[in-house]
Amino acid sequence: MTAILSNTQLRDLGSAPRKHTAGLPPATVLLSFAVVLVVILWSLVPGLFTSLSPVTGDTASKLAAPSAAHWFGTDYLGRDQYARVVYGTASSVTSALVAVLIGLVIGSIIGLASGFRGGWVDAVLGRFVDVLLAIPGFLLAVVIVSSLGFQTINAAIATGVSAVAVFARLMRAEVMRVRSATYVEASYLEGGNRLHALLGHVLPNAYRSVLVLAVLQFGTSILIIASLAFLGYGDPPPASDWGLLVASGKTYVTAPWLVYAPALVIVVTVLSVNRISRWLRNAK
Amino acid sequence: MTGDYRRFALTRGGQAIVVVLLTYVFTFLIISVLPGDAITNTLRDPQHGLSEEDIQRIVAFYGLDQPVIVQLLLSLGRFLTGELGFSLQSNLPVSQLVGDALPSTLTLATTALVIAIIFAVAIAYGAQYLPGKWAAVVRSIPSFFLSVPNFVIGLVLIEFFAFRLHSFTTTDPNSPVATLFAAITLAIPVSAPLAEVLIASLDHESRQEYALVARSRGLTEARLFAKHLVKPSALPSVAMVALIVGELLGGSVITETIFGRDGIGTVVQKAVTGEDQPVLQAVVSLSAVVFVAVNLVADLASPLLDPRVKLRETTLKEKVGA
Repeated sequence: MTAILSNTQLRDLGSAPRKHTAGLPPATVLLSFAVVLVVILWSLVPGLFTSLSPVTGDTASKLAAPSAAHWFGTDYLGRDQYARVVYGTASSVTSALVAVLIGLVIGSIIGLASGFRGGWVDAVLGRFVDVLLAIPGFLLAVVIVSSLGFQTINAAIATGVSAVAVFARLMRAEVMRVRSATYVEASYLEGGNRLHALLGHVLPNAYRSVLVLAVLQFGTSILIIASLAFLGYGDPPPASDWGLLVASGKTYVTAPWLVYAPALVIVVTVLSVNRISRWLRNAK
Repeated sequence: MTGDYRRFALTRGGQAIVVVLLTYVFTFLIISVLPGDAITNTLRDPQHGLSEEDIQRIVAFYGLDQPVIVQLLLSLGRFLTGELGFSLQSNLPVSQLVGDALPSTLTLATTALVIAIIFAVAIAYGAQYLPGKWAAVVRSIPSFFLSVPNFVIGLVLIEFFAFRLHSFTTTDPNSPVATLFAAITLAIPVSAPLAEVLIASLDHESRQEYALVARSRGLTEARLFAKHLVKPSALPSVAMVALIVGELLGGSVITETIFGRDGIGTVVQKAVTGEDQPVLQAVVSLSAVVFVAVNLVADLASPLLDPRVKLRETTLKEKVGA
């Protein structure tokens, strides 16, 4: 009983005072933030991290094993694999961001509209979301990208569309939760309109869970886009999206680092993003 | 009570049919929005070796010289009678292409599902009963599984077990051992969400009073797990089955490509590269049918598996009625 009481009290205190007591996030979370920071820097200023070119190589030292000069070894044209990974970050990560934005914006609009308007709008949009959910996510992305054309930006759009449904569902649930709350009804009584309720109550309340989902979806999008690139549905070489690097590396059985290095970068990045998402969720 | 259940079942069934039809229309719209005259390009591609007569026949069959809405109605009408059309690439009936590929994918997906359930139960059991530090490690496995792309798992397994240990060869992808490793590849990402739900559900159930009573009566933890905790914890997992079917279907595209298997995933991949619209349309619609049907069964089974579900629904209805 006391536990329940103190929980409610904590919630009533709001988030501001709790932040002081929470202290620093755990070490794994800090490490995850560091990884994400490096990945962001790779995509913004790749030149700072390697002086080698991702497109021209030294054919004399092709398929060289990892060394001090070439951290991730070199590929069949003698290109530095580390440079290719670093320069491939921009499109691998930016496209995941684009995908999340598409899912977030379209999904939120659908969710808000069905939650607020209810009635036939909710019924129509609800069936649309059902349709998006009925097609396996990856298959949907594959079909859309094949329809739009094989480019990384199209892969991002396809991934974004396949994420619309989850955002729409979450946003609708948040609206339903808040809509009937006493303080929202009170704001209607005071003459507030729907827009006011939306800006003043629903969005501030929903923001936390939407953020958690967006971060989680960012990791998932990196994976889906890498998979699409792996199948050759992204930009063609000499682009060096992470998934494409793994795909072109797998031909060279004698040079496994060509696969392992970009694969490890994908895994570590997604693991970090997921860790941050979990931390945000539990910090609620 | 039974009348209520029948009405519930009928509504859900009706909704399911509507969703399948809408999915067909949606997929048709996406595919026919293809930039350029892709369908004619595919038909005229000399590689496919279609004669002028074949081309005319296909154009007439799909109504390609008519407006999109006519094409849609034509195609939807055929789909409803079970007619899936012809592949533009091979001129074979789509039903034959899918039928030939289906056994391989079914074997792969079923094996993967079994492995995923074994992994998930093992992880959940470990998270529940291993000593503190190990339990924490086990609890972080699902999130690790979710961070590794399918194709990386496949390539690593092939590298170690095919190339180094020679457990199987990639030239014979349908051998039992090769199938097993392909299934593991597919199972790992699928087992993660299942394990997470099982862990959460076990945490919840083992705190319930009936678990405490059972413990006080001297039941060992293993028997408690098997006799009392698995069934209620299985319910939320059943609700996830539909999601898992989707994951298995989507993941098979990559897994089959890597392991060189001929299945639905390979059919999809060939259809995408060859812009073979009827094949894509059929595979996507059929997976939607499978997804919706599995979802429907899970929905209909939930009140039967756990009486508390039905109870909650009736009380809600009473509230609304009052």
